[in-house]
Amino acid sequence: MMKHIRHTFTAAALSAGLLLSSCKKDEWLNPVLTTAISDATSFDTRDRIAQQINGLYAAVKVGGYLGSRYIVYNDIRADDYNNLRTNGVTGFSTWNHTVVASTNEVANVWGAAYAAINQVNVFLAGMEAKGNGIVGAPLSTQYQAEARFLRAMCYYDLLQLYARPFWDGNGSKPGLPLRLTPNKSSGDNDLARSTVAEVYNQILSDLDFAEQNLPTTYADALTRTTRVHRNTAIAMKVRVNLSMQRYANVITEANKIVSASAPFTAATGVPHALQANISTVFTNYTTTESIFSLPFTANNLPGTQNSLAFYFGPAPVGGSEYPLISTGILNNPAFRADDRRRTQLLTTVSGQTYVNKYPTGPVNTDYAPIIRYSEVLLSLAEAIARTTSGIDARALALLNEVHLRSQPTPFTAAGFTDNNAFRNAILTERRIELMAEGRRSPDLLRLGLPIPAKANVNAVQPNSAEYIWPIPDTELINNKLMTQN
Amino acid sequence: MRKLAILSFLSLMWVAQAFAQVRTVTGRVTDDKGNPLSGVTVNAVGRDLSTVTNNDGNYSIQVPEGVRALRFSFVGMETFEQNIVGKNSQNVTLGTGSGTGMDEVVVVGYTTQRRKEATGTIASVKGAAIANMPVQSFEASLAGRAAGVQITVPNGVLNNPPVFRVRGTNSINLSSQPLIVIDGVPSFQGDVSQNSAANNPLASINPNDIESIDILKDASAAAIFGSRAANGVVMITTKRGKAGAAKVTYDVTVGQTRAFRLWDVLNAEQYMTIKNEGLTNANITNQKFLPSLDANGQTIDTDWYDHVYRNGFQQNHTLSVSGGTAQTKYFMSAGFTDQEGMLVANDFDRKTIRMNIDHNANKVIGVGATFNFSNEMNRAPNTGSLPGQAFATAGIGRIPLITAPNVAPYLNDGSYNIGSNGLIGVMSNQVGQVGFFNPVPIIELNRFTSENNRINSNVYMTVKPVSWLTLKTQYGIDYLNTDNNTFLTPVHGDGFPRGGATSSLAKYKRWVWTNTANFVKTFGENHNFNLLLGNEQQRTLSEGFGLSRQDITDPNYTDIQGGWITPNPAGLFRGENYFLSNFASFNYNYKRKYFIGANARRDEYSAFAPGNKQGDFWGVSAAWDIAREGFWEKARIDRIFSSFRIRGSYGTVGNIAGIGDFVSQSLYGSGLYGALGTLVFNQAGNTNLKWETSTKTDIGVNFGILNERVNFEVTYYNNNIDGLILAVPQAPSRGIPGNSINDNVGSMYNRGFEFTVNATPIRGNKFSWTTSLNLTTNDNKVTSLVPGGAQEFVSNTSGLEVANITRVGHPIGSIYVVKTNGVNPENGRRIFVNRAGQQIQYSHFVPAGQSRWTFMDGSTAPSVSGADAILFGRSTPAWFGGFDNTFRYGNFDLNVLLTYQGGFYVYNGTRAGLRDQRFWNNEVEVMNRWQKPGDVTDIPRVVFGDNVSNGSAFAQSQNVERGDFLKLRNLTFGYTLPFKLVEKAKLSSVRAYVSGQNLGILTEYTGPDPEVSTNGNGNTNQGIDRNSVANARTILVGLRVEF
Repeated sequence: MMKHIRHTFTAAALSAGLLLSSCKKDEWLNPVLTTAISDATSFDTRDRIAQQINGLYAAVKVGGYLGSRYIVYNDIRADDYNNLRTNGVTGFSTWNHTVVASTNEVANVWGAAYAAINQVNVFLAGMEAKGNGIVGAPLSTQYQAEARFLRAMCYYDLLQLYARPFWDGNGSKPGLPLRLTPNKSSGDNDLARSTVAEVYNQILSDLDFAEQNLPTTYADALTRTTRVHRNTAIAMKVRVNLSMQRYANVITEANKIVSASAPFTAATGVPHALQANISTVFTNYTTTESIFSLPFTANNLPGTQNSLAFYFGPAPVGGSEYPLISTGILNNPAFRADDRRRTQLLTTVSGQTYVNKYPTGPVNTDYAPIIRYSEVLLSLAEAIARTTSGIDARALALLNEVHLRSQPTPFTAAGFTDNNAFRNAILTERRIELMAEGRRSPDLLRLGLPIPAKANVNAVQPNSAEYIWPIPDTELINNKLMTQN
Repeated sequence: MRKLAILSFLSLMWVAQAFAQVRTVTGRVTDDKGNPLSGVTVNAVGRDLSTVTNNDGNYSIQVPEGVRALRFSFVGMETFEQNIVGKNSQNVTLGTGSGTGMDEVVVVGYTTQRRKEATGTIASVKGAAIANMPVQSFEASLAGRAAGVQITVPNGVLNNPPVFRVRGTNSINLSSQPLIVIDGVPSFQGDVSQNSAANNPLASINPNDIESIDILKDASAAAIFGSRAANGVVMITTKRGKAGAAKVTYDVTVGQTRAFRLWDVLNAEQYMTIKNEGLTNANITNQKFLPSLDANGQTIDTDWYDHVYRNGFQQNHTLSVSGGTAQTKYFMSAGFTDQEGMLVANDFDRKTIRMNIDHNANKVIGVGATFNFSNEMNRAPNTGSLPGQAFATAGIGRIPLITAPNVAPYLNDGSYNIGSNGLIGVMSNQVGQVGFFNPVPIIELNRFTSENNRINSNVYMTVKPVSWLTLKTQYGIDYLNTDNNTFLTPVHGDGFPRGGATSSLAKYKRWVWTNTANFVKTFGENHNFNLLLGNEQQRTLSEGFGLSRQDITDPNYTDIQGGWITPNPAGLFRGENYFLSNFASFNYNYKRKYFIGANARRDEYSAFAPGNKQGDFWGVSAAWDIAREGFWEKARIDRIFSSFRIRGSYGTVGNIAGIGDFVSQSLYGSGLYGALGTLVFNQAGNTNLKWETSTKTDIGVNFGILNERVNFEVTYYNNNIDGLILAVPQAPSRGIPGNSINDNVGSMYNRGFEFTVNATPIRGNKFSWTTSLNLTTNDNKVTSLVPGGAQEFVSNTSGLEVANITRVGHPIGSIYVVKTNGVNPENGRRIFVNRAGQQIQYSHFVPAGQSRWTFMDGSTAPSVSGADAILFGRSTPAWFGGFDNTFRYGNFDLNVLLTYQGGFYVYNGTRAGLRDQRFWNNEVEVMNRWQKPGDVTDIPRVVFGDNVSNGSAFAQSQNVERGDFLKLRNLTFGYTLPFKLVEKAKLSSVRAYVSGQNLGILTEYTGPDPEVSTNGNGNTNQGIDRNSVANARTILVGLRVEF
């Protein structure tokens, strides 16, 4: 009898267990991830959408793109740096012009910029479908404007490395696959390259929209630097038009944010102006001179071998990867001994001289500078110089505005033999001013100048294949309409 | 009347027996290592007379006249008949090695079957065969032990999971490792470490605790595991008690392990000769490699191997007690393992406690439990030898190959030789760099550990209400906590200059509840039925969290809890998955002559989207024991074939191993933009995703000749895998996170033959030889990839080097390199063959204005790159197997295990690095470089900085070699003390032995070992040797004592 009771008890316990588990069964078969947000609900609240905007900036800030490497590659492929490490992982192939379609950086920069472009496209579609209604105007148009600014910047940056410069055939050369719709699932791989001009047109269309719809300013200095506003869009249009050699447009755009005479400042929107000392900009990242910078914090670091300090700075803060080379700007007579950009922004360690614009360490939290006001001033000066003969007074004043804060000897009209010498002086000033900010290679390319020789690396002529990067083979394999450079 | 007749018959029998002459035969039964076997059934052949051996393996049986032989049978051993004509004492040894004895019991999922009644293809390895080996996890010892099972030990890093394949690589993107089920609970697999200390959770099982390993290979056997069966299923059964007095076994081994067949690299003088010649050839005049003097004024000539490799000591102990009564049986064991690897600072410690108990409460109810606790501490430096690490500048597999021999680890003042740039100091060399890191400080000061605490246990109850029905419920848990710690010194290496510490805890919790009903009934005489119905749930929860801190505030801190500036999260993850399954297994045979079997399982799995959660898997099989047919004997075929069985099976099973818990969902994840939170689209899911399916066909014959002295097994297998889950590559310009989306698109097959021969060529009283040979062939071909998409994709090593391609119509992960055509004797330039078939030579240094790449006539040629690569050949073995021999002479025994693999290529990327003409040190072969016109050599003219001519910049064919090898995997020589001697010490058995692992390799491969896998268990990037350390050679001395 006891045995039967025991059996019954056991059976009851087992059935109870089975019953219990069947209640839970559906829950266990359909688990809800508590550490991510489903794409079905990602546009459901204002906070989520606001965080997505931050996410778009984060997407361009990745180490493989504007967080450091894009800037690094555009400097080191030019003529001012040496490479003693011969490390393929840290840009050796870029430095000596041996990148091929399968080289990592060729694929990584391409992938990172296009990943950011798709984030923008996914965001824009999500906003249209749901998000605009959640946040309401005017925030909805501001967000779209920010997104389109970032997309324009990505396409512009890609053009500088992966397509022939605009002057070559007046934009008729193959540009980029122009992806403007969101990709969230398989398919749609094949997309032919638009021409360089077509891509530039899209960039300008996005920037025009951004200029019209971005806020003129934000409440605090940090946001004014790390989010784009109207003047950021204008400054970017200055850069884009300069690359297209459309100097009249450069002048038109720059004049929106540069006063007629010294001291040159932006009269509307964020009051951009140069800082008294250039060094300030690299310790206080949110002055009005920094039109757009990407922030890093101790909790949001660039990552291993991904910081600007790692590439440009000496150990221990940096990685001593790229000291200045003796044949480059370092010993250029225009870069005078008492120039603050030499005395304050260069440092010599163990016989090698490094750019010290990113001095924060050992945790590298230096912001990545994207656009500074001095670039706008020099672009404007150059555009004026290239569209006028002789030595234009305003252009000269703009040049001196940048030069004199770092070096006391002013340029004078009499000091230039001709307009050409003046243009070259502006270009050299740019090279000194924007050192280690990723502008040198684009500046050479937009003007069709050879990339000069350095160390045992030969010069690259504007008509040679190495003048620009190849298209990564991953794109060629998966996009049947893609063509190699 | 009838009763009377029976009575009379019985009386006659009794009378007959009473009149027969009876004698007593005694003896002792041991296994092939001399251990006594208790409980062996000793049967007088032809008579219904039997006894069992006692605890010391002794038996005594009264045999009547006319009995010519005794039959010895024991679960898990080959049954053996011994002639006893004219003998009163007879010792017997039962074989364990072959594991294909037809009478043995095999685990077929949720039940066991006699092998001869099982119709599926099952390979079995006895625990004894893999006990006391110098490995960390049991599967590392399976190499060569069973047909169809390929084990490749990737390198000599302790507890680095072996490549484990059953009948080829059966997946592209998911895991190709078989499902491993330990006492009914599927185990966690793969490397669970989060740092450089490899941590294979299968090492939680003390191999000495394993009773048997049964590998279910075909669909009919494996289908009972449904969606997880495509790669085969490995059933691990741990030891359980047997009735009898307590039996105590103590196993101890001590030994030494060391590296062998290391590369010969240049000494200091040779190094300076080559590098200075390279500088001259590169027209670099302001740099020079110069000798340095040590404190004694001697020229420094450092052998970096001395600072990286060592003779590692190891000791392993297992103490077990087992026994019980008819009602209650127990097995208890405690194990302790302390192994030092061949690499400095690479250690493996394990403590295990096991308690297995079975109790029959009465005839109806039985209960039992299995309990295993283990603690494993894995320690390793950054070996550079785990997947993803191949190009790590701190990898100590690579450091001794790359670092200049003319500098020392210490400066003459005794301090570490560290340069101001954070790299090893150049000493007197007038160059910028002579190495990456000084290995001595990073080995001494950095620390990587991964520690497991694991409980693997279950309880069960069986109810047997009637003789033909067994109900069983089993609840098992597998709780694994992994504690990972990394400390990086600020002094030097990866932590320079800030220091870093990362600690994370990962918790994995799994429970499995299985309920089965098993009907076993014979109808009439000859209709034998076996039906199993079951239901199972399995739920797994995982989560991890940790800290990654940087910027040490005081040099004395060595732990995450010390003073640091930054706190960042590390190792954050959270997951859960759930299986809900029903299954059935049906077996029927008629007269044990005709067999049919069927298995089916329906799985529902949480990771897939609604509508795709459920999958059905099944397998059917049949076998015919022809030798049991009357005609066989009549036609006298039985004189040749003492047994002959034909079998076949067919079915469809699935694979989801390694798939993400939330893989079907499209997700946004969080991050930071400066100080602000972000939300970013980071997973493009696919709601259509479902299981990979593998349709398996098996046809086989088993036959014995010479009265079963030689057994053959031949099986043809064909696995057609469809719906492979591929990360379908998206054009990077689409910007999809990860540039791919998972989809069920590809297909592939694995076909081949398995041959097994088990034989006992010699079975004398004094001398015996048992042998087992197996050979498996594998024909692997990818038959489709993305429809309409690329029909091939490349795979890389550690994110940097592409040397594998998976292309439709070819084996998975074939070697993919640029073809080269030697060195031009006229100018010492490497000749490449580009995509167009043109020969193009390369010189790293050319005068300004000239091209580095030229056609053979000197005219400018387009540059050659990885884009010119060709598919070279397969990277996985086309054939593999083992040859296992056990010899006994008196009390001596000798086991020799040879393993072999062949029909594949290895890309020797390490050699590419060893010929690189940057500051890197070279192999001595480089001394044969081209120096003057007319020199015929495969080493180009050395030009400093040249990373192209020898294969660093992209993979090249001169570094591809045949991987075929024959390896003396294990050799054990033992001596069992005479029983009379042992008996006096109140012991039942004492055996001492010496054993050696990896004693020799026969291969043409120039690297240390063609059995290598830099990419670990990767499917599409196999056959790569890139900066990995070699395998170790281990010598053990062991002792086994039983009482």
